[in-house]
Amino acid sequence: MSDIVISARGVQKSYGSNHVLQGLDCDVGRGITGLLGPNGSGKSTFMGLVLGLRPRQGGTLNVLGVDPDQSGPELRARLGYAPEHHDLPDDVQAADLVRHIAQLHGLPRRAATERASDALWQVGLGEERFRPIGTMSTGQRQRVKMAQAIAHDPDLLLLDEPTDGLDPVQRDDMLALIRRVGSEFGIDILLSSHLLEEVERVCDSVVILANGVVGHSSALDGLGSAASGVKVELDSDPQPLASALAARGAQATIDGHILTVTGVDEIGDLVRDLVADLGLGLRRLEPRRTTLEDVFIEASR
Amino acid sequence: MTEARIHDRGYLAYDGPRHGPGRAMVVLSYHTVQRVLGLKRSNWQKVMPAIALLVAFVPAIVFIGLAALLPASNDFELGDPAGYYVPISFVLFLFTSFVTPEALCTDRGSGMLGLYLASPLNRDTYLASKFVAVIAVLGVMTIGPTLLMLIAFTLEGIGPDGAIDWLIEFGRVLASGLAMAAFWGSLALAISSLSPRRTLASVAIFVSLLVSAAVGDGLAEGAEVGDSFALLNMIALPIETVYRIYGEVNPDGPPIRNVETLPILLTFLGLIVVFGWFARWRYQRIEVTG
Repeated sequence: MSDIVISARGVQKSYGSNHVLQGLDCDVGRGITGLLGPNGSGKSTFMGLVLGLRPRQGGTLNVLGVDPDQSGPELRARLGYAPEHHDLPDDVQAADLVRHIAQLHGLPRRAATERASDALWQVGLGEERFRPIGTMSTGQRQRVKMAQAIAHDPDLLLLDEPTDGLDPVQRDDMLALIRRVGSEFGIDILLSSHLLEEVERVCDSVVILANGVVGHSSALDGLGSAASGVKVELDSDPQPLASALAARGAQATIDGHILTVTGVDEIGDLVRDLVADLGLGLRRLEPRRTTLEDVFIEASR
Repeated sequence: MTEARIHDRGYLAYDGPRHGPGRAMVVLSYHTVQRVLGLKRSNWQKVMPAIALLVAFVPAIVFIGLAALLPASNDFELGDPAGYYVPISFVLFLFTSFVTPEALCTDRGSGMLGLYLASPLNRDTYLASKFVAVIAVLGVMTIGPTLLMLIAFTLEGIGPDGAIDWLIEFGRVLASGLAMAAFWGSLALAISSLSPRRTLASVAIFVSLLVSAAVGDGLAEGAEVGDSFALLNMIALPIETVYRIYGEVNPDGPPIRNVETLPILLTFLGLIVVFGWFARWRYQRIEVTG
């Protein structure tokens, strides 16, 4: 299998005068990829295009080697999808629902029954598999959604806000499950979320959408390395230090008692000397590290 | 000897056979038939379909019983399959209004539509599967009793004379039943496509049928603006269509009995097409992600 799972070039999608995707370019590789973006950035629209639910209006899109617009049914047989909403039919047993979806994806009835049972065990609902979904908690319903998405052994799994509505413990469990599906089960995952911390915890790479285009796309293991500049935390108002740094050509942004300083060489020495000259109390001086939040904010601008 | 057990097989890849989209349509149709009939659901959900099926078949069983017990005579009229639809049309009317919306509405209300469209089905094959399922269920009520009577009367020696007549009668039974099922089914899907709420769809079907009957007959007979307006009566239209398939006119029917056969058949087929087109138009516009 190719190392590129999804390849998009100049993808456009509009609803009337609302141009949701405006020439989106990205490559989604194997492993777990986070699809980040503020509300309205086009995440769900992109998911819909990947699933072949809507035709795009421009550009090329290749998912698992095929064009979703041309080969939607054949492609969707190889995809698993867990939607964002919490609704599932209340009066259906979890095992029946998962088996039904597996059959729709082409599995013969007996194989679908066996794999539905296995999938529910894998997501931790083995003992609960014959319960009607209406009697299940939000966390259990999310697990049912995960089970129905993996029962037919898809090549690519699309998860839309899989931790939405979960409490912290349930969220941890779900993230661990996603990590397990992506690593142990060998299923590539595109995880749509607006929670940076989740993406940082489970994903191998990230695609950030902003205003209908890709604002940033990279592997996550590069984050956390040192970037240019320093972070300075003072025990008092940092404005005098910011002004002094600006007078020497540095750029300083203030966030509470913390200054992020960039733009000049030997910046650590400069900050140390200015803090001493101004008689300020220095709590922390460290190299600036790029976080996903930094990248997200930068990409969203 | 120590007994070895496998407690966790881990995740196993599936490399067995996979069926295509055609099989997915069959799976969905079968599942929908089960849902509509209340199978694998609470007993309460089974009540209405069970009563409807019972009421649809009871007259046929009574006719067959009478034919078996009573000596055949010229006074005993058995050969009026078209007329059979008059007494059971009320059951079909109620069934269409209060049971068939389950086929579409629940999938939207429960979010299943998103899962279906993320499978090898698309919007058209999804709707086609639902249509087939609804026709199958309605067909049990519209074809089943008359077919049962045909077979029973034939076995009792009072059926059509000769193989040709029998095949013609058989064709009429199938055509009539399918026509009724297609009309009620397409009407139910069209109105159900307007709302994810089953109750709302039920009321809308019920009221629209009653209003169509009142308006159609009111214009044709009350206001006397023309018999053609009786075609608006969507309760009488399918029954009269069945009479015309048998080459008859409903003798005691509403004003639509005065309309020529061709306008009746064209209106009947046209409405099925319009209902189907409307449901498709609605489903092309429904968003299921985000």
